[in-house]
Amino acid sequence: MQSVQDVVLGLEGVSKRYPGVQALENINLEFRKGTIHGLAGQNGAGKSTLVKIIAGAETPDSGRLLVSGEPIAFQNPNHAQSAGVQTIYQELSLVPQLSVAENITLGAPPRNAVGLVDWAEMNVIAEQALERVGFKLNVTRAVSDYSVAEQQAVELAKALRKDAKILLLDEPTSALPQPDVKRFFEVLRKLADDGVALVYISHRMDEIFSICSEVSVLRDGRHVASLNTSESRPADVIHAMVGESLEGSLAKAALTGEKSVKIGSNCTEQVFLSLRNVSDGGKLSDISVDVHSGEVLGISGLLGSGQSELAQIFAGARERQSGDILVDGRNVTYRSPSEAILCGVGYLPQDRKSHGFVPEMSVAQNITLANLSGFSRLGFIREGAEKERAGGLAKRLAMRISGIDQAMGTLSGGTQQKAILARWLVRSSRALICDEPTRGVDVEAKEEVYELLRDFASNGGTVVIASSELSEALMCDRVLVMARGQIVAELDHSEIDPDGHAIMKYYA
Amino acid sequence: MINDRNGMLDEETELTAEPVRKQWAVLRLLSRSYLMLVLLAMIIIGNLVSPDFLTSRNALNVLTFSSIIALLAVGQFFVVLTGGIDLSVGAVLALATVVAALTMQAGLGAGEAAGITLAVCAVVGLLTGGLIVYLGIPPFIATLAMMTAIQGFSYIIQSTSLIYIENQTFVNIFSEGSLLGLRSPVLIFVTVTIIAAIVARYTVFGRQLYAIGGNREAARLSGLPVNRNLMVTYTISTVLAGLAGLLAAAQLYQGSSLIGRGYELDAIAAVVVGGATLMGGRGDPIAAVVGVFILSIIVNIMNLVGISSEPQLVIKGVVILLAVYLSSAGGVTQLARVFGFGSRSGSSGT
Repeated sequence: MQSVQDVVLGLEGVSKRYPGVQALENINLEFRKGTIHGLAGQNGAGKSTLVKIIAGAETPDSGRLLVSGEPIAFQNPNHAQSAGVQTIYQELSLVPQLSVAENITLGAPPRNAVGLVDWAEMNVIAEQALERVGFKLNVTRAVSDYSVAEQQAVELAKALRKDAKILLLDEPTSALPQPDVKRFFEVLRKLADDGVALVYISHRMDEIFSICSEVSVLRDGRHVASLNTSESRPADVIHAMVGESLEGSLAKAALTGEKSVKIGSNCTEQVFLSLRNVSDGGKLSDISVDVHSGEVLGISGLLGSGQSELAQIFAGARERQSGDILVDGRNVTYRSPSEAILCGVGYLPQDRKSHGFVPEMSVAQNITLANLSGFSRLGFIREGAEKERAGGLAKRLAMRISGIDQAMGTLSGGTQQKAILARWLVRSSRALICDEPTRGVDVEAKEEVYELLRDFASNGGTVVIASSELSEALMCDRVLVMARGQIVAELDHSEIDPDGHAIMKYYA
Repeated sequence: MINDRNGMLDEETELTAEPVRKQWAVLRLLSRSYLMLVLLAMIIIGNLVSPDFLTSRNALNVLTFSSIIALLAVGQFFVVLTGGIDLSVGAVLALATVVAALTMQAGLGAGEAAGITLAVCAVVGLLTGGLIVYLGIPPFIATLAMMTAIQGFSYIIQSTSLIYIENQTFVNIFSEGSLLGLRSPVLIFVTVTIIAAIVARYTVFGRQLYAIGGNREAARLSGLPVNRNLMVTYTISTVLAGLAGLLAAAQLYQGSSLIGRGYELDAIAAVVVGGATLMGGRGDPIAAVVGVFILSIIVNIMNLVGISSEPQLVIKGVVILLAVYLSSAGGVTQLARVFGFGSRSGSSGT
């Protein structure tokens, strides 16, 4: 059925090397007209490098790209775009203050006879582009007025406004609520029917299996498998990604939804941390929660339901307007992260890159950041002690680093998360507040992070997991479901079915 | 910090093949020591173009002038390290000369005058820090406003155009005295630079500043005393500006609100020439001081060969751009590629 002519984009023997790492090695791939082709792989497998090469942001060391059979060497992203390769990155690249129409036509707004911007024409163009992705918005309003899903549509319309033969999507749903993902997929299918070749990069097996016809798997820079989604199972893909059997593991269970595994099992009667009638003057009002020693508490909700804000309150990172915080029954009501840390509460923020670590500092320096007094004498840092302790933790947490002096910014998401976790272990923190703890973390490291949290709880620690991933809520001893800034349900682990319907029914 | 990063590269390159490793070693060495190479080149050029350059009298001139800017640059370095900027240091220097001259005119001794001057400067720093930390005014604006206000204030309190300093003890301590064969300005700035380098590299405070500059929110969420440290940093900057003011007053035998105009820009230029970025989180104080010497030697050479002051400014501007391109903007790597050091990465692009 598919002929050679259908191949819109081909990669022949593409290799790319960075200092110290072979990012891609002899990649051969073909992307066909009218299909949605999945691309899977753990963090560090080479997906982002591949995307950058196809998008013209990087040049391969060897090998070549063929667009519609013609070899082409992209000089820069603009060159790739004019050749019909459009890319949608994980992070939206919109200017929030500008209008929808201005964003869609950004870079090349329509001009009138005098050379000034033709606003009427701009709005028409924007409306047409949005229509193509099935949305109808007031294009003169600022992008920031719209929801994430609508912004995603604007991003898509922006990409399609230029003639798109190939559309690269790098984890486009990471910020989308579940119902919107469905709608987004319909748009993608329609685009495929229109003859666009889509390349869909995702960590999520359910997504890959619901919209991709074929999935190619990268591991350590090599193309290790291409599977037909109608003839394979998610476990096959995960197997190819990880390179060893994940049978019976948490990550697999979480990913495939085959079973849920509780990571907390040591919940005691002892209340460690309590919120009493806490309000933040905005999203959250009058919230009271008790968390026990040894308990893993899930705070579940669609993205933006307030679970992230609640985690910040727990961590002292968000300003409260009223209400109290109790630790061990004492009213401590901390007002800053540093006070919360003194009470034994550590925080793993959702946005690691901008909140979690100092990219230019070493792994060791990031690990000891919250406990410098423990590694200093008379104000001078004891580097030997620091490195020894950090090195021990790196080993214990199986962090994949070349050395304890490696810069934090160069690590994969999973290793960064482990280092932040290590920061709180160094302090012997008694509670960990985790906001989306496995976002941007690869499959294998995800499982390790869960194991570490399990360890922490079984030693009497308190874990709070704020998450929009249903699979993570399924692992908790107890789940609070949030919607519109309110706690709408409290469920014990035993009340939750393996598919999480018990939780989902409260989302709406 | 610098050493740590290079240590990291060591480990990373160990994974790669031997010849590749050598290339990277060359590159690494080049980008680390290029400042010293530039300084050395300047000295050689100076010696070639003018026989007066390597005389002890000229060297003393350069050192004396540089010691004042070096003190400003060390203070500025800490501010820049946190991602801030301090435009007020030139004005604070002038204020210091006026306060020192006034207090000595009133009959106080050299030590008391210096103590009061530095205390006044510390108060100014706390005020600046307060504006930035507690009122949330951006450093650029806060220190710009302080600069203007302090200039006016200095003029008001001096009440005449300048005040002469006749206290010989003061002049000896801060300008003409010497110890172990070193003139006191040199002794003072070298001591300050060494202490600053130790603070930046080995202390908890230094580590915290790198963290605050590298990612302020991560620093806050890790419980670091961000506000307190910023207050301290601006205070260090103004106190060092005050100390620079004492040197200037002793050199000129006077206090005047006109001294030190524009010195803040020389200090900022030196800091970035020394490899720090205005984004914060990078650099070290010794490199900033080397930056001071690179800039002042260039001016000195141009003076010796008789280039008039306007062309001097043009050349100085070009040199600043070039130096920053080489150090911060990755120019060394780019140039190395052009000349074939990094042929491996260079081959892909062309």
